[in-house]
Amino acid sequence: MEKLKAAFADRRERSGFLLAAPAFLFLVALFIVPSFLLFIASFWQFDNATIVPTFTLSNYLEALSRRAVLYSTLTALKIGFWSGLISTVLSFPVAWYIAFKTRSNVLLYLVLLSWFSSYLVRIFAWRTILGTQGIINSALMSAGLIDKPLEFLIFSPLAVIVTLVHIFVPFTLLLLLSALRNVTPDHLDACRDLGGTRFDILRKVVFPIAYKGIIGSFLFTFILSAGDFITPQLLGGRSGMTVGFMISNEFRVSGNWPAGAAMAILLLIVFLAASALTTRLFRLLRLAPGVRYHPLQNPASASRR
Amino acid sequence: MLRIYVWGYLAFLAFPILIITLFAFHASPALTFPFEGVSLRWFADLWADPNFVSAFKNSVIVATVASILTSILGTMVALALIRLSPKPRAALSFISFAPIALPGLFIGASLLVLFDRLGIYRSLVTVILAHTLFCLPFFVEAVRSRVAYFDLDLELAARDLGATRWQAFRLVTLPLLLPTIIGGAILSFALSFDEIIITVFVVGEQSTLPFYILSLLRRTVTPLINAASVLAIIFTLLVLMLAGTVLWWQARREKSARIGEGVVG
Repeated sequence: MEKLKAAFADRRERSGFLLAAPAFLFLVALFIVPSFLLFIASFWQFDNATIVPTFTLSNYLEALSRRAVLYSTLTALKIGFWSGLISTVLSFPVAWYIAFKTRSNVLLYLVLLSWFSSYLVRIFAWRTILGTQGIINSALMSAGLIDKPLEFLIFSPLAVIVTLVHIFVPFTLLLLLSALRNVTPDHLDACRDLGGTRFDILRKVVFPIAYKGIIGSFLFTFILSAGDFITPQLLGGRSGMTVGFMISNEFRVSGNWPAGAAMAILLLIVFLAASALTTRLFRLLRLAPGVRYHPLQNPASASRR
Repeated sequence: MLRIYVWGYLAFLAFPILIITLFAFHASPALTFPFEGVSLRWFADLWADPNFVSAFKNSVIVATVASILTSILGTMVALALIRLSPKPRAALSFISFAPIALPGLFIGASLLVLFDRLGIYRSLVTVILAHTLFCLPFFVEAVRSRVAYFDLDLELAARDLGATRWQAFRLVTLPLLLPTIIGGAILSFALSFDEIIITVFVVGEQSTLPFYILSLLRRTVTPLINAASVLAIIFTLLVLMLAGTVLWWQARREKSARIGEGVVG
């Protein structure tokens, strides 16, 4: 009998591998191999408008020494940070409301519906609203509050951040909601019964349970916003130029892939560092479960208390 | 208090889209208030533009093929995930999720290099391949939680009763998972129909609808963009509603079939 069961498990496993094979090959061919190729291309040379597959570090040295690269990276990180933070903070109360205060799913469906209105449409919508002859400026001018249009509304990092927040808010809501679903009303009641304030509930119960979703929603938005190159191109103006836009230009306009590839790899390293830093910061602020919550598994920290 | 905030949040989400829709029907090219009357002239202009019509057609083709490919590959991945032991399962779910953890910029650029090195011309085919790569993680994530509830012993029972592997899949597994798969396919269609970030790297001479809108956006501010946007939104909504109707109709038919069998038995 045991033998038969093992035979079944074995066959099940084998059919699992067979089922996974086509998608696995597809992902290897169109994701793993190209990613390596991009890495390798970052060491190639661009000479007289042709690409020479050799090995050189000059693309990296060049990228690291250019001021424009540094500034546009900082702009990208700034845009990513604020977009991630604002969309997470904006969605948190709504996720809370859906998780604990209502039983209907109508709200969720309404938010999802807005997700299906295209990315470019939103960019154009914000251009219509924030533009120099846009809705806000023309309303303010006809009300006599300002004499000439507020220039900073459009073609600035501000316009990019507003638009990206609008684009990513549905995503953050979904991620936060699935994280908050792990917190049961019993958890909240227990904290209240033990005399916890609202702040305690948030800091000592909700964050340690839902921290993965909270960090995830911030990092997801941060990385996708900082890596975006179409919104900055259309709404960022001079001051809102991001490194993503420079990278896409190297690939699509100047044809200098090695330079673009090197910048892309550097940006990837920055993203990885930023992700590690965020997780670290949550631990330091004691908002994520660290050693403190598991004293038994870590006798050193238990004895310290 | 929280309730008011939630309404504000919804208003923030809806406001820009309402503005776009409103000005798509504006009689004058101005994109500001006061509103000067309603007209359909921008839609007529769009329809007269062969570039728009072909871009729209291309987008429908790309989204259809990409969502079918995604559904086949994604369903197989989901079915594999419930069969595999923990280690290969973790590896498979990692690799099938990884493409959306990276910004589209990286995917697009690396595909551009790949296609060029292989000497593949950029066309709708490359767009379809790229979109399938982009949609697959979403499909797997959307479908896997449902597939996790699927009882593999049902397939075993069918096999025990003499069904071949293919029969067990077609008569037992597929009907049970079909609503989930259709849901994932519609999601993929909508994602592909809207994709632009990866598309700009792999698109050839034949444009897609978002690429057409992007080229308009770069040139001028024209209500044509509003009209194109509104058409894109309406089309996506129609597809979603169609899917909803199909699922509802199927559920009803199944229910009546079951009741019918009950009477006979």
